Amino acid sequence: MLAPSAAAAEPLVTLPAPPFELPVVPPVSGTWTVMVGIGGAYNPDFEGARRSMLSPVPIFSLRRAGSTEQFRGPRDGASIALIDFGDLRAGPVGKFVPSRKANSYSELNGLGDVKAALELGGFVEYFPADWFRTRVELRQGVVGHHGAVADFSADVIVPVIQRFTISAGPRFTWESTGAISPYFGINAVQAMATRLPIFDAKGGAHSAGAGAQLSYWVTPQWEAHSYVEYERLLGDAAKSPLVTIRGSPNQTTVGIGASYSFDVRIR
Amino acid sequence: MRRGSRCVSLATVIVVAVSAGACAMFETRETKLQAVKTVGILSAVGGEMSFAKAGLTGLNSRSQSFPIASWGLDDLIVQQVAAALSGRFQVQPVSYQRAAFAAIEDSPVAPVNVVRGDPFKKLVQTEVSPQGLDAYIVITKAKSNFGGGARKVEGIGFITFGTLLASSDHIHALYEIRVIDGKTFDIIEKMAAPPLDKAATISIAGPSRTIDESFAASTGNPADNDKLHAAIADLVARSLSTTLSDMHLAETR
Repeated sequence: MLAPSAAAAEPLVTLPAPPFELPVVPPVSGTWTVMVGIGGAYNPDFEGARRSMLSPVPIFSLRRAGSTEQFRGPRDGASIALIDFGDLRAGPVGKFVPSRKANSYSELNGLGDVKAALELGGFVEYFPADWFRTRVELRQGVVGHHGAVADFSADVIVPVIQRFTISAGPRFTWESTGAISPYFGINAVQAMATRLPIFDAKGGAHSAGAGAQLSYWVTPQWEAHSYVEYERLLGDAAKSPLVTIRGSPNQTTVGIGASYSFDVRIR
Repeated sequence: MRRGSRCVSLATVIVVAVSAGACAMFETRETKLQAVKTVGILSAVGGEMSFAKAGLTGLNSRSQSFPIASWGLDDLIVQQVAAALSGRFQVQPVSYQRAAFAAIEDSPVAPVNVVRGDPFKKLVQTEVSPQGLDAYIVITKAKSNFGGGARKVEGIGFITFGTLLASSDHIHALYEIRVIDGKTFDIIEKMAAPPLDKAATISIAGPSRTIDESFAASTGNPADNDKLHAAIADLVARSLSTTLSDMHLAETR
């Protein structure tokens, strides 16, 4: 995406210089671009659910004026590139998986809660050309579940005009038993409470699908975007009675949002 | 109640003491700059110009570089910075190995840069004469991502951004300015030149502008393209005042 600079006008706000500076931290003086916005995501109630729900998503970012936001997909974890050759980037990545409350949805009654999870690991992305990104994230659950997750994606990034970009590509996810079983396994107690059959969910291919997103800069300050991500659950995630009896292996997320960027100058 | 107010008083004393200590320990740039009287100015930005493509490109889209030292951009930068700073500092001429400063590259592995420190500190110590000035203003190439893809651009350059329906040409002059203490060789201040207000129609972390086809180098050496030369010189000149102002070195904005 080639986003127009938000610094197309004088800074909206000028703030005084901080009273002191830390020697190891770069000075904050200069112009910064603040992006604020709101979006909505219409995604499945829980992984494997048949129904979806619209939820608000806040948008906020702060960066040096003119610095570009690298292309990112809606499924990407939060990451920072400690190794950056331009076409090859790598670094740590983290992802937060919200808790699944059994009393929130009738399909989950009797299954018990699944705690929120934090997955930490690393990512590598490679651009064979400026318009084609491949990315893999390997994450290990450190809080909540303790399984391993590998996310693979590829995106063709097509700037239609300077301010309008379309991107799309395939997705694939592999998960270990430790990452799948809390969400798709059904033990004897849960089986008695739900009348679902006992199911021992094992690791393996978890989902495959595709995603696409659009981004349009209406003006140098206003941006609008939307995306759709479809994934088909595979392996034991798809075979789980939670999915076969009460849910669906077809999982679609649709998102839309708009943001406004303005500059702040710090003396 | 009395015990509570004693705790509040103790907390107030601690906050005041910590604040005062922090202010004493971490001098602001302004405080450090107040002690600077004599400065030397070095520039190693304008030795070569890169030509690159981004956006919808072929698979082999490596950038090419051409020498433009004959444009004298570094001399222009030194002259303009000297003129801007002469009201506040005593600017003294310095000699230095320009190629040594231009050859410094950041490591693509970020932790390596943190561990090795700023390489320009050592260069100022060994490659600049005379030594002993209060500070040295060092202007070198900066790097930026271009767009959301893989393309990185650096220093002086020309980039063509290809889209499905049209392509556009842009020039950039990316540089950063360091103020290095002439006694301790610590970095007093460092800042990359920001984008020019109202001129940036693309997102690039530094001075840039869109140009029309008439600027494109048709054939041969771009150093012979007078229009390109003038446009780059103008970009540098206009951005220097903003950057020096942001660094509190000159109030020329």
